Amino acid sequence: MTTAIEFQHVQKDFNGQTVIPDLNLTIDQGELFILVGTSGSGKTTSLKMINCLEPLTAGKILVNGTDTTTIPVRSLRWQMGYVLQQIALFPTMTVAQNIAVIPEMKGTAKKEINQTIDELLAEVGLDPKEYRDRMPSELSGGEQQRIGILRAIAAQPDIVLMDEPFSALDPISRQQLQDLVLRLHARYHNTIVFVTHDMNEALKLGDRIGVMQHGQLIQVDTPAALAQHPVNDFVRNFFGASRAKNVYDVYVGRVGLIQGYLTEKPSVASGRIQSLDVQATLRTAFTALTDHDYVAITEENRVVGYLDSQRIVAYLSQHEEVS
Amino acid sequence: MQTLIQTFIDRRGDLLTALWQHLGISLASLVIAMVIAIPLAIWVVRRPRWAEGLLQLTSVLQTIPSLALLGLLIPLVGIGTVPAVIALVIYALLPIFQNTYLGISEIDASIEETADAFGMSRMRKLFKVELPIALPQIISGIRTALVLIIGTATLAALIGAGGLGTFIMLGIDRNDTSLLLIGAISSALLAILLSALVRWFQTAKPRHALIVFVGILALLGGGGAYSVYANRVETITIAGKLGSEPEILINMYKQLIEAEDEHVHVTLKPNFGKTTFLFSALKNNQVDIYPEFTGSVLETLGKGNNPAGQTANQTYQLAKQRLAKQEQMTYLKPMQYNNTYALAVTKKFQQEHHLKTISDLTQVESILKPGMTLEFIDRNDGLKGIKKTYGLDVTAKSMEPALRYEAISKGKINLVDAYATDSELRQYHLALLKDNKHFFPTYQGAPLMKTSFANKHPKVVKALNKLAGKISETDMQEMNYEVNVKKQSASTVAHRYLVKHGLLKEGR
Repeated sequence: MTTAIEFQHVQKDFNGQTVIPDLNLTIDQGELFILVGTSGSGKTTSLKMINCLEPLTAGKILVNGTDTTTIPVRSLRWQMGYVLQQIALFPTMTVAQNIAVIPEMKGTAKKEINQTIDELLAEVGLDPKEYRDRMPSELSGGEQQRIGILRAIAAQPDIVLMDEPFSALDPISRQQLQDLVLRLHARYHNTIVFVTHDMNEALKLGDRIGVMQHGQLIQVDTPAALAQHPVNDFVRNFFGASRAKNVYDVYVGRVGLIQGYLTEKPSVASGRIQSLDVQATLRTAFTALTDHDYVAITEENRVVGYLDSQRIVAYLSQHEEVS
Repeated sequence: MQTLIQTFIDRRGDLLTALWQHLGISLASLVIAMVIAIPLAIWVVRRPRWAEGLLQLTSVLQTIPSLALLGLLIPLVGIGTVPAVIALVIYALLPIFQNTYLGISEIDASIEETADAFGMSRMRKLFKVELPIALPQIISGIRTALVLIIGTATLAALIGAGGLGTFIMLGIDRNDTSLLLIGAISSALLAILLSALVRWFQTAKPRHALIVFVGILALLGGGGAYSVYANRVETITIAGKLGSEPEILINMYKQLIEAEDEHVHVTLKPNFGKTTFLFSALKNNQVDIYPEFTGSVLETLGKGNNPAGQTANQTYQLAKQRLAKQEQMTYLKPMQYNNTYALAVTKKFQQEHHLKTISDLTQVESILKPGMTLEFIDRNDGLKGIKKTYGLDVTAKSMEPALRYEAISKGKINLVDAYATDSELRQYHLALLKDNKHFFPTYQGAPLMKTSFANKHPKVVKALNKLAGKISETDMQEMNYEVNVKKQSASTVAHRYLVKHGLLKEGR
């Protein structure tokens, strides 16, 4: 795997105060990398240094092996999509015009742009005929952020930067958009750097997760490794705090992640196994287990593993006191 | 209402001209203000300290009273359209600058950040993102400026730039409500109409907006080009002060000159302003000729002491010499009438008490009930001087000029001050008393022009000299009455007089 983005001894000061002392990080090409941390941990600043929205105080960032300060800032930004929490669609442009912003600047032919717009809209489940000429103010928050994402990827950038893109959305839209990101990532294989403060989101989306605190990367690992071997109390507590308020609202996928799945299909009659999506809650799982022996956890209709009541009870016994 | 409509019909030609001038001045000012304020506002958006300073500056400019501003501009740029446009531009800066600045600087920071993150150039960001978002606010600033300009442009008439203000000034001057209303209503309608047009610009399809905008520019440009073209033929510009009397006179000048020399076209600028405006217009070649009073020359224009008790001829000779020496100007021979201060009584009162001169008043001192303007009562060359010179002992009630005539016609008072040619003398059947001790300075009208102009246009001089010694005070009162009260046009009245006195052939 080749490296897409590399932080080398990056330092960042604000008004003479060092907020990021020495950041070193390598993100691979095609990776969906999540930066997670509490507010003020420096995750958003780190993200904005990649496309030079924030200048570095010291050190350097390499993008595809080239120091970002040696590339003209506009061509650097043209190869990076950007999605932000405030969505910030241009309010005077239609949906189509918003999506066309970067391809237009790059000089893509009009016909080609129009085709891309229609394809992308269809891909995120918005009928092009109906949505092309709408104004952003006529869309719901979830729809707006869909367009925000399309606008970022319309010119097929190698890298997409996302700064807490879903934290202002309602839970249902958030889930749908998380799925959308996974789908688009699977399809285009671009490198995504995704900043969030929501550990559930991080666990769901990330190939790897970097946990930040006080401008330092505490741990960088796969979701499973992070969940099973938190490097210190901060990381462990961060999981606890970001867990659902009520333990019964936790996703079953998370139980599997922490307790481990049964990977073999249990040898019982298939009628004794109930299928559940990874995003189903523990509550649903309990209901299912009252008249079934196992639950099969599926993600996009693919079985990722099996859980029985013992594992779920074990998870509960470890975490119940926190809730 | 009837008179309003009648006045409107009589004056519709003038109104159209005034409307056109008004529109021209207003739109030119607006465009210039936009060209200055919008780029400036865009420039300071990234420089908050400058922005603060400029906002303060434009606010201060806005607070200068418009009349004072016009006054300040006269010594710098003279009179006419230029100072009017400058003043209007200064007024229009604040709303346009402020709205553009706020419109852009209040754009959501996340939108600015997105535009940067997408690698937009400064210009692209400005035209694709910032200006479209700020547009409604900029347009509303332009509309505010426009309404402000059209209202303030009525003051342009004061410094000879014409426009609808001419009607308002005339209306005030002649106490003619119809004229005043026509001026005010047209100006208000113009403001509403243009404001709606600007709002339409905001929502119109860009192509339509462009076509209309270019159309308006072409129309105005065409008008300008035409006037430049029209000015190429030998044109003489004659202006007159505010009021019916100068307007009648300059119409006589025009008719006499055009009869004398067929190759000359005379443009009239009636109601052009007051003495000093006209005089500087003459100096700056904006005007070729205007009728001036001998008394005014001594009082306000020429430098030097003014000996008292001069005869009419002495006054004229002194004025003529000073103008020739100090200003290189030629002052032609004056007409007969003397439009000075005067004392008037009703004809009935005059006959009852056999009054001819001011001296005669001493005999009826005990029954005199004078009502006079505050200014006249207070001036040394007014009532104070009269009392001393003629040994008259009276106390006058101070009254508004218009009320004074009402009061004397109703018998509440029996002696008023007046100008010798006021149409009200005729209207209220008043008689003037002779100033037998030559107390009041003489105010005889005569054409004033530059000496260089007089030398180049002997035919014009010849034509104007035909009026020397003509027109008595009664003639002038009568003609003023015909224009002010009977609402006849100054041109008709002038023509009738010239024909009647054999100065012009019938049918011209």
